Amino acid sequence: MKKSIIIILMMVLLSAASFAAGQKETKSANVRFWYHFDNPESAVTPLVQKFEKENPGIKITPESIAWGAYNQKLLTAIAAGSPPDVSQVKLWWQPQLIEMGALTPLDDYINNWSGKDDIYDNVWKLTRYKDGKQYLMPLQMVILYMYYRTDIFKDMGLVPAKTRAEFLTLARKLTRDTNGDGKIDQYGFGIRGARGGHDWWGTFVLSSGARFFLPDGSSGLVTSEAVAANQWYIDLYRKYKVSPPTTPNDGFKEIIANMKSGKTAMTIHHIGSSKTMEAALGDKISAAPVPKGTERYWTSFGDEENGVFSASKYKDAAFKWVAFLATAENNAVWQKASGQVSVNKSNGETSEAKSNRFLKATIDSADFAHVLPALPQTAEFVESVWPTTMQRAFNGEISSKEMMETFAKLFSGK
Amino acid sequence: MNSKRLLFPYVLVTPAVIITVFIVFIPIIETSVMSLFNYVIWKPKDYKFVFLSNYIKALRDPVFWISLKNTVIWVTGTVSLQLILGFVTALLLNRNFWWRGIARSLILIPWVTPSVITALMWRWMYDGNSGVINDLLVRVGILKEYFPWLANNSTALGSVMVALMWQGFPFFSIMILAGLQAIPGSLYEAAEVDGATSLQRFTKITLPMLIPILFTSILLRIIWVANSMDVIYVMTGGGPGYSTYTLPLYSFIKAYKFMDFGYASTLAIFLTFFLVAVVAGYVFKVLKSQGSME
Repeated sequence: MKKSIIIILMMVLLSAASFAAGQKETKSANVRFWYHFDNPESAVTPLVQKFEKENPGIKITPESIAWGAYNQKLLTAIAAGSPPDVSQVKLWWQPQLIEMGALTPLDDYINNWSGKDDIYDNVWKLTRYKDGKQYLMPLQMVILYMYYRTDIFKDMGLVPAKTRAEFLTLARKLTRDTNGDGKIDQYGFGIRGARGGHDWWGTFVLSSGARFFLPDGSSGLVTSEAVAANQWYIDLYRKYKVSPPTTPNDGFKEIIANMKSGKTAMTIHHIGSSKTMEAALGDKISAAPVPKGTERYWTSFGDEENGVFSASKYKDAAFKWVAFLATAENNAVWQKASGQVSVNKSNGETSEAKSNRFLKATIDSADFAHVLPALPQTAEFVESVWPTTMQRAFNGEISSKEMMETFAKLFSGK
Repeated sequence: MNSKRLLFPYVLVTPAVIITVFIVFIPIIETSVMSLFNYVIWKPKDYKFVFLSNYIKALRDPVFWISLKNTVIWVTGTVSLQLILGFVTALLLNRNFWWRGIARSLILIPWVTPSVITALMWRWMYDGNSGVINDLLVRVGILKEYFPWLANNSTALGSVMVALMWQGFPFFSIMILAGLQAIPGSLYEAAEVDGATSLQRFTKITLPMLIPILFTSILLRIIWVANSMDVIYVMTGGGPGYSTYTLPLYSFIKAYKFMDFGYASTLAIFLTFFLVAVVAGYVFKVLKSQGSME
């Protein structure tokens, strides 16, 4: 008697549990969303609330992940079998994520999505993977340009440089002793020597004879022109000393702080830092496209997209969320928090967008913005190989040629 | 009754052993196994058993040798600096002065400061643009202009070592102070009667009496310092170049920047071997000296 009661009770419990699980599958989808903003005070809550109101039955659980550890957390979460449903990702992570089989192709969803024509064609083109599939939903973009201190330029009667040669002359003029104590206290150019500085490097090296690959597939980093272009860049710090002595370790915080304090008169970054720069300097800061190298312009197209993970149980709901964020009205709200540029054509047409000098410099640079090679090694290049090798070259431990050979070896996959 | 009594100590030790097995032995075995595999997180298709290839790769890897050299400099340099400073402060604190109680608690501040805060604080003090160390050195005329301590490959490691010296010396102070207070005053009185100078008293009484404590503290510090990478990671991230790479840091970077867990495990196993060698040498020496005493 007792036994049968226990069995009945267990059956009731089990059926209740499976009913609850079934409910969860169909009725309420919980989408875990990983994201990050440069400004930790920015919040994604208003967008989440709006989405949940428009889409009853879907719950978004946003998790803000620190940028410094974002990539490693994402990769380890995938390896452990528990990635989020949706995550903000960088384009150069895509090859690794696809190698792991972690991303879901979104082509079928996107073809049926009404908002797709409002996203810049070039953004679709740049974010499509080499196998022809679209794994990522565009979210935000930036293009790197040159920041300069208008007050210093005005005092000295200078204008932003148009070519690499002009840039060197300009940077040397701007490197000076301003208070007459015999010591240099203002430097022409803030170079980012720590992680993330490959964009600064690319502007002068990849524009002047170096490229990752030549048309025949061999490395374009070890040609004599490439090595010379790299030497020119090393010389900015070692020979001409137009950037502060701390350059090898300078990261994002240092280069921005140096611009604000007037320690440097020029640096490269994107619109994401314009808000804090303007708050500190008002109209003493402006922006212009980067100078042209000896053969072409090169600046970095910075981007972020949302990926839907193949391990997700709620792919339909996840796509609804990424599509929601890529819709003009919501994307504009997102950019207010991220400080970056909307991927929607209609957001670029507003009068507010047209009168902004930082946005103008961004748009003026759009034609020659490039991305890094879509190879799995790119992540290692950015995260570790570039900074270590650059720092060694800046400190005179290795030559320009050895530096470029290190990169060529990495990209050759040997 | 007797068998119960025999079992009782084992019962008491069991929980500690179980916990140690779970949090120490299983991870060690797992790491050892991982080091025999080609295990790069983002290359699941290339996951395979490679036996000792990772070990051979490490021995041929110039960065491994740089890191090993830096680890030796880092451990010997930091521990001796901490020992010297700790010894001096312990001798001072052993004297009688009216605010000795306050001084003894103040000295613990570096020890209780979290590593990340210590690292950030020192990073700012070393800052090449506005750091207080540069400012002082320029003011007193030792330097002509600000020097990028952490961005220069010849000063970066030394600068980080100074920061760690500051953080770790109170451990030595407290241990040595305890040792000093355990030395019976009668020994000094007898020495004085025999006409020993203060130097003789130090070398013939103080130092020999402190030897056991010094050995234990040095051993503990060697293990901690060799393993510690948080301060280096926050202050320089291993840079510029490889100039502040130590083995645990290299292992960490291989694991979390390159996602190469197989190779990172190999580096960790190498570090374990080195530390075990040091500890074994020490234990052997202690056992020998105990044997001779008996």
